[in-house]
Amino acid sequence: MSSPLRSNALVKIAWVHLVSKKRQTIVAMLGVMFGVTVFIFQAGLLTGLQNYFIEKTVNTTAHIHIYNELRAERPHVLDNVRAYDSTWKVVRNQKPRDEERRLRNGYQILRVLEQDPRVEGVAPYLGLQGIVRFGTAQQAATLAGVDILREDQLFRVRENLIDGDMLRMQTIPNGIILGSGLADKLGVQVDDNLAIISSKGVVLDMKIVAISKTGITAQDNTRAYITIRNAQRLLQQSGTYITDINIRLRDVNAAQTIAAEYQSRYQYRAEDWVAANANIFGVFRIQNITITFVIISILVVSGFGIFNILMTIIYEKMPDIAILKAMGYRNRDISTIFVIESLVIGVTGGLLGLLLGFIASVIMSSIPLNIQGFVSVQFLTINFNPVFYLVAFGFALLSTAIAGYFPARKASRFDPVEIIRSR
Amino acid sequence: MQSNHIIVANHVSKVFTDPVDFRVLDDISLTVDKGEFVVLVGPSGSGKTTLMYALSTLDTEYEGTITVDGTDIASLSPNQLAQFRNSTIGFVFQFHYLLPDFTVLDNVSLPAIKAGVWSADEIEERAMKNLQLLGVADQARKRSSRLSGGQQQRVAIARALMNNPKILFGDEPTGNLDSKNTSMVLDILRDLKAEFNQTILMVTHDLQFAERADRVIAIRDGRIVNHE
Repeated sequence: MSSPLRSNALVKIAWVHLVSKKRQTIVAMLGVMFGVTVFIFQAGLLTGLQNYFIEKTVNTTAHIHIYNELRAERPHVLDNVRAYDSTWKVVRNQKPRDEERRLRNGYQILRVLEQDPRVEGVAPYLGLQGIVRFGTAQQAATLAGVDILREDQLFRVRENLIDGDMLRMQTIPNGIILGSGLADKLGVQVDDNLAIISSKGVVLDMKIVAISKTGITAQDNTRAYITIRNAQRLLQQSGTYITDINIRLRDVNAAQTIAAEYQSRYQYRAEDWVAANANIFGVFRIQNITITFVIISILVVSGFGIFNILMTIIYEKMPDIAILKAMGYRNRDISTIFVIESLVIGVTGGLLGLLLGFIASVIMSSIPLNIQGFVSVQFLTINFNPVFYLVAFGFALLSTAIAGYFPARKASRFDPVEIIRSR
Repeated sequence: MQSNHIIVANHVSKVFTDPVDFRVLDDISLTVDKGEFVVLVGPSGSGKTTLMYALSTLDTEYEGTITVDGTDIASLSPNQLAQFRNSTIGFVFQFHYLLPDFTVLDNVSLPAIKAGVWSADEIEERAMKNLQLLGVADQARKRSSRLSGGQQQRVAIARALMNNPKILFGDEPTGNLDSKNTSMVLDILRDLKAEFNQTILMVTHDLQFAERADRVIAIRDGRIVNHE
């Protein structure tokens, strides 16, 4: 019975203090609110975008990619002759050996991989650089020679088509699917005819059967699908020539171990999707670190706001502190008052921040933006992970508690005699 | 006879070291009896206020021993000391020290709330009784900052009496009042002593006080210079 009465009195004193400094209290709350809002908004926006990108990447890059890793460097021919004396090296312009990029027995490997129960789909690939020409317009392109049905099983080609019909790749011998950016640059549409030219000087006339838009700008601007047979003709190679095998697994997360296994079994480089996109994940990590610092500094600043207002209150309310101590209130009681004050500011500001952060995220995710950049998206995909809300609120309480602790301790250590005698 | 002494000070000395060494209390010994109305007088800087704060347990930095109501003050921890002040001692200062945004009733209730032995209703009842005694019951629901100076000081006395303190300490309680309010406060203190046998120890340089007190202790340069 006595304890609630007493804590009520302390709460009431704290409340009166805050009300007497209404404007500063509100500013301090706004500081916390702003910090939490930015936290939630930024974290949601950034991870939303990253998740979107990862999802796109997982859908557009193979879980495992098998290819023949070429070594550009080879030891100088004279090194073998006189290994003990390097001053004899005089032959310049040693050309790289004409190594083949092909996967030997590529189709046999393909068929074996298909039997692996962990594998969902396998697709052969023959890629080359070429020029796409439409009238006088020319564009460099990455020509992807694929088996379109297998490719679709791995990379959902059909889902990304914005015009045309994928199956015509099967029905006509010279079909090509262009990336949307590439099609725009050339100014072509479905059913237009164009020419592709390879580095070997082979020219093929092609008919556009479909246009694809994945949302990853780099791919949409450069890639065109053709059949493997046409790719082989462009490279003047036989019908078994392929350079890559792409694999889709049933479990994405097993990619790393399975890739290692294939690499040792087939003696070709087998790269999993995480390794293939290591640079992007590196960028994400830097982004996350940066944003964490920004958010923490905002919360620290809002902590200073709370510290500031509490110090003001404490110096203004010294007489209150003195008389409470004289009438028998303990140091603990005094510090409780100021801890309550900082918590009121922190909790209120934090809750408002959660609400505002949520509202800002909802609004932001519903505004059509049509961003064309790293990835092209129509709406921002914002991550509404509740963990962010918990962490943001936790951080707000933490910075509030730290900012409140020092003034509260200071107040509790005031000597009442000094205060009373100094009046 | 020991039992009748509510305050016993034995060879109490205190030295201020800042800015220079200064012996503000110099080997003071005194006793105060239950129900006595004692006034400390002396010129400013004589040490009378310092002595009062030492005797009233607010200041614990001194040499010698002070026993209040049979308890050696130096033996108490800060928390025990707070508890002891709450139950045994009431204060009236030169300024009223009311919490300005609280009602008169809330202000008077604060010491009882801290004591934690009464229910909310009992506390209000006691507070109203004390306010009645001091003639300010009609102001109970007002915010304390809206009262006149004299009323505020009477509310402060009501607050000091809230937990039935064994000793009421005053530091120039009329120092900030006009002559009419001064004599009113004096009358109240006198009545407290007469009706409730309240022990009172006041610091003042108001001679009116000295006339009405049971005993006047004059301090000069940290020493007691008379014992009437």
